Amino acid sequence: MMIEINKLAKSYNGTRALRGINLRVEQGEIFGLLGPNGAGKTTTIRLLTGQLKPDSGQARIFGRDVFKDREKILKNLGVVPEETNLYERLTILQNLKFFCRLYQVDYARISEYLEMVGLLQEQDRQVKDLSQGMKQKVLLIRPLLHDPEILFLDEPTSGLDPGSASVIHRILQDLNRQGMTVLLTSHNMEEVDKLCHRVAFLNQGQLVEQGIPRDLKLQHSRQQIRVVFQEQEEINEDLLELQGKESAEFIAGLIAEGRLKAIHSQEPTLADIFVEITGRELD
Amino acid sequence: MPNFARITAVFLKEIQDIRKNPNILVMYALPVLLTLLWNNIMPGMPPGMALSFGLLFLVVMVGMYVPSMMIAEEKEKKTIEVLLLSPATPAEVIIGKGLLTLLSIILVAIFLVLFTGHQLQGLLTILLATVLTSVFAIFVGMIVGLLAKNQMSTGVVGMPVYLLLLIVPQVAEMAPGAVQIMAMFLPTYHYLLILDYVLTASASPVRILSNLGFIAFSSFIVFLLLLYIYKIKGLKN
Repeated sequence: MMIEINKLAKSYNGTRALRGINLRVEQGEIFGLLGPNGAGKTTTIRLLTGQLKPDSGQARIFGRDVFKDREKILKNLGVVPEETNLYERLTILQNLKFFCRLYQVDYARISEYLEMVGLLQEQDRQVKDLSQGMKQKVLLIRPLLHDPEILFLDEPTSGLDPGSASVIHRILQDLNRQGMTVLLTSHNMEEVDKLCHRVAFLNQGQLVEQGIPRDLKLQHSRQQIRVVFQEQEEINEDLLELQGKESAEFIAGLIAEGRLKAIHSQEPTLADIFVEITGRELD
Repeated sequence: MPNFARITAVFLKEIQDIRKNPNILVMYALPVLLTLLWNNIMPGMPPGMALSFGLLFLVVMVGMYVPSMMIAEEKEKKTIEVLLLSPATPAEVIIGKGLLTLLSIILVAIFLVLFTGHQLQGLLTILLATVLTSVFAIFVGMIVGLLAKNQMSTGVVGMPVYLLLLIVPQVAEMAPGAVQIMAMFLPTYHYLLILDYVLTASASPVRILSNLGFIAFSSFIVFLLLLYIYKIKGLKN
């Protein structure tokens, strides 16, 4: 078990940000914490990285207590924060070299990672002159330089264009294939659906559902399909039960007559499931 | 025990950063320009006074302003969060920043002494006094940085202290009474006295030693205050 949280609770000025959540993340997983703004996602990451102390509950990483063994744990963690907290007046290379010096690792991996995200040619540009997408890539590289076992990402593609977001997704998948455990927070259900092996829904400080995205979608499915077909001069559509002889005969008839245009699964998205469970939108 | 490699990392980062930070570069340029101005445009000034005022300005303004801005900017831009997630400890971060400020003051002070044409024989005493007073000023600047929420508020928090340490010693001789008594408790007043003694060769080494002792004692007291405020506020607030 890489990450283990038991009854973790945290309040700010009387407002309960986390209400005793339980969570397990296995080695080699990409785990997504999904929820709207203010759900407690960032608080969870801050607690797991020892930046905050909980009111009650336990958090263990690599089997060690986060709040007692923080120094030892941090050496094997990487964190991509939500804020773009790079040194803006320094160049990309100066930023990355600074963190290599702090971790006392050599500079060898800098070029490798810059090449991977397509920023090798830009390494001598000041960070303040970069686009948001470029900055986000630098933010992603920075915690990888010391080769951590677990990577935490807080809203890694928030505010990015689809192209940049896609590059970040590809890199995360590559890192995961190499064995890195990833815990990311997001309010983007497509991102979580695409990347994560398992997800948990966080709402008002409580974990309201967790599981494998496919299983959750099957579990919350209405067991219906939408069939689009030709009827004389018009295109019509109909909702059918997913199982049953009647649906099968209707579709078979459309196929035999050459009138079937499309069949759409009515599988809910993770956002639909979130709304169904909590009654709230994911922003 | 602070790690030398990580202190060096913070030190090098700050060198790279300061070179591109006009707000801080201006603070280094001001004492140089003021000294040149006083030295060349005001011929009636007593010998050594231009250098004394230039050095006082350097020690107080750079010594306090630079570390306070560095710390406040780290908090404002949240770079301090990632720094404290790295193996660097708050002590290493603070020492790295303070060391850069101290060394840069020493370099500018040497430049000012040589540039104003003063003899090298008093240079060591001037440097020793400058180092001790700078250490005091840097500690005060760090306290300001810890108390300020952002770069803007360093001015609000720090300005009364800057003015007290900068102006009271200069007017103490002209305004006897309460102002002079107040000045005697300020290390910058003792710094000005040392500079005056050295530049006009008008005091014995024993007198200078007592002034140096007072500045060292003040630095120690303000260091204890810095530790206390750090314990309450932390580096991240």
